[in-house]
Amino acid sequence: MLFSSITFLYVFLPIIVALYFIVPYKVKNYVLLLASLIFYAWGEPKYIIIMIVQIILGYIFAIIIDKYRDKSSVKYMLAMIVIVNLGFLVYFKYANFFIRTFGQVTGVSVNLLKIALPIGISFYTFQIVSYVIDVYRGTVALQKNPFYLATYISFFPQLIAGPIVRYVDVEKQLVERKSDFDKIAHGIRRFVLGLGKKVLIANTLGELCDIFRGSSDLSVAYYWLYAISFTLHIYYDFSGYSDMAIGLGKIFGFDFIENFNYPYISKSITEFWRRWHMSLGTWFRDYVYIPLGGNRVSKAKFIRNIIIVWFLTGFWHGADWNFIIWGCYFAIFLLIEKFFLIKKLENMKVFNHIYVMFVVIIGFVIFNATSMNQVISDIGGLIGIGELPFVSSEFLYYIRSYGLVLIIAIIGATPLPKKVVHIINSKANGNKLLNLLEPLVMLIIMILITAYLVDGSFNPFLYFRF
Amino acid sequence: MESKVKNRILSISMLIFLVGMSGWFIFRTPDEYSYSERRVLKQKPVFSMEEFLDGEYGKKYEDYALDQFPLRDNLRGIKAISENYIFNKADNNGIIFKEGHLSKIEYPLKESMLEYAGNRFEFIYKKYLMKKDIEPYFVIVPDKNYYLGQKRNILTMDYEKLYKQMYKKTSYMKHIDIRSHLILEDYYYTDTHWRQEKIGDIAKLIADKMGTKVDADYKKVVCKEPFYGVYVGQSALKVTPDKLVYLTDDTLKKCSVLCYDTGMPVKKELYDMDKLKSKDMYEVFLSGAVALLTIENPQASSDKELIMFRDSFGSSLAPLLVEGYKKITMVDIRYINSDVLDAFIEFNDQDVLFVYSTLLLNSSLGIR
Repeated sequence: MLFSSITFLYVFLPIIVALYFIVPYKVKNYVLLLASLIFYAWGEPKYIIIMIVQIILGYIFAIIIDKYRDKSSVKYMLAMIVIVNLGFLVYFKYANFFIRTFGQVTGVSVNLLKIALPIGISFYTFQIVSYVIDVYRGTVALQKNPFYLATYISFFPQLIAGPIVRYVDVEKQLVERKSDFDKIAHGIRRFVLGLGKKVLIANTLGELCDIFRGSSDLSVAYYWLYAISFTLHIYYDFSGYSDMAIGLGKIFGFDFIENFNYPYISKSITEFWRRWHMSLGTWFRDYVYIPLGGNRVSKAKFIRNIIIVWFLTGFWHGADWNFIIWGCYFAIFLLIEKFFLIKKLENMKVFNHIYVMFVVIIGFVIFNATSMNQVISDIGGLIGIGELPFVSSEFLYYIRSYGLVLIIAIIGATPLPKKVVHIINSKANGNKLLNLLEPLVMLIIMILITAYLVDGSFNPFLYFRF
Repeated sequence: MESKVKNRILSISMLIFLVGMSGWFIFRTPDEYSYSERRVLKQKPVFSMEEFLDGEYGKKYEDYALDQFPLRDNLRGIKAISENYIFNKADNNGIIFKEGHLSKIEYPLKESMLEYAGNRFEFIYKKYLMKKDIEPYFVIVPDKNYYLGQKRNILTMDYEKLYKQMYKKTSYMKHIDIRSHLILEDYYYTDTHWRQEKIGDIAKLIADKMGTKVDADYKKVVCKEPFYGVYVGQSALKVTPDKLVYLTDDTLKKCSVLCYDTGMPVKKELYDMDKLKSKDMYEVFLSGAVALLTIENPQASSDKELIMFRDSFGSSLAPLLVEGYKKITMVDIRYINSDVLDAFIEFNDQDVLFVYSTLLLNSSLGIR
């Protein structure tokens, strides 16, 4: 089920919220678990079994690891559960990639497996793995109630597209949490704004990207319009989803970690990755990079560690070569910055932003390509290879048509709107005005979102299948 | 107002809104048809375990929810206003609103469609006309974007290329170019079609080229009913309706119209007033979409006959050519296979005219 669907907003959510606040406190987690299973099963009922099996395995292995934590053989138990869980991910997400690559390398014709990627498997697998490792490390206590563990893993706000909530962050909240009007209002605000980012901005820019892909009137400027639009589209799509997840979490009394922090204002790629998909970045840091030695190793091993982490980051995003190249592409810039550039960038006031956005935009062009040929043709288009005109009539039409949305999207990707609200809020009359207007504005945005959903057809989530 | 009060108001108002709309949606009686969109609406899917397990039920339920959501037309209107006036988009779902005119983006030019249409016309020529030494005439009717697009930053198909390609493909026909005889105001504001009361000179030009004469002094009849053209529903905007006007005189009143869609001749009216109550008022002209009909003019001064291969633009044009002919046979090869025309029409020495709009030529798969 999509957050941005009528079924979710006007059937599922009101019923679940009402039920959640009606039932006694002890039953609330069970309501959330049931709701999460229905939420997941609504789109792909078959694959719910896989998630349940992974949860059960995680639960059982965590008990065993906790019980025999003093035995040396427990390491093998840990390795086994990590391998088994990642095995699910590898099979469903990467098997066909390996088969296809094998066929391409050897020239042998091999039939692909007829399997679909279960929704959210990349996210919940990482959550289960992190839980078991944390139990092994002793950083979290064993969750003895299997239903509570299942509630954490399958919790519908963050189940299919993150943030990758770590067990340690919600351990206490699973047992004891408070809901009051302040928190609920905060959650509603965050959810509505996230939904607005998704439906009003991301979907609109996504339409433009689709139009570009279907065009036969290409030009260099049109390629750039596409690249910039996609860069904004993916930010609004994914950060909008994270906002919705965090907002829904708050409504039910949970505090999830932030996932985005204005990544497009970064002054370096190093900073960009501290602001973009933060929950994934910290996951790889804590469970891959630091166990490999982090930066407290020789230069060669440090380079190896960075390359491994970014290879995996790219590969996590998708089972194709363009994702691997995308990950490695960022590894190169991170290494260059680490060894040569980072201090220089700090002193370059405008250039550093231009540099970051250029690298990020090219990165997302690689990311969004459907094949390596498209990577080459898209980048070729950006630099004018192939006798492309600089502008085309289609470009002129769409830059005029989507120009305002693009400007709004660019401004909205900076802290400027937040600062303006803060300034107004700091004045006595401004605060009164905002307090008065906010409920009304939220309702208007919700009506506008509903209008766009009812009339629209373009509504995919980019991170839905990661 | 304290922020605690505000938070209470926000939480409660949003809850009331969501639960209220939810209840309204769940318990309302579903509509069967959307008059504004001219389509049947999705109904609640019947639950089956098989469809649920393969995810189809969820998709069907969402389609139903989108179609049956309360205040759907109003919400579509809100979106259209937002797109047009807040986000300043050039079009909303491909519908443009410029200078009071609603229109649909028709882009890009589809050369394969022109090729297909040309092949079908050539088939008709070779099978029925060539051996009778009939040299047909061809009028391509420019759609309103041809005029709306000039200097108004609208994405339009490459009309020059369309005309060039179609003329080349139909080199066995005599081409009558009417582009310089039309202006934007000759089209309805809310509909795709031209206004009959504005195309008298077009009829005269065509008649003149075909060696006949039409010079009647028609009386204009303005229909009282507001005419909301095909683009109104698609745009979801509240716009001023058009006035539908038709031309008539004694000759036209005495014409008899027979429709052969059922195999047997059925009497029809030149201007079908029942259609003023239908979802498409333009169907007043010759009852709209029919495969084959004839207009017989008992007051004709000659025995000349005309066979017109046409789309809907021909419906309002044909009455203005009646004066010059004893009989006009109108064929719409979207609804009758061109392979069987000789079962209904005897091709002799009639004038033959092809009247097709750029819209149909650029989307010609419907013709047979």
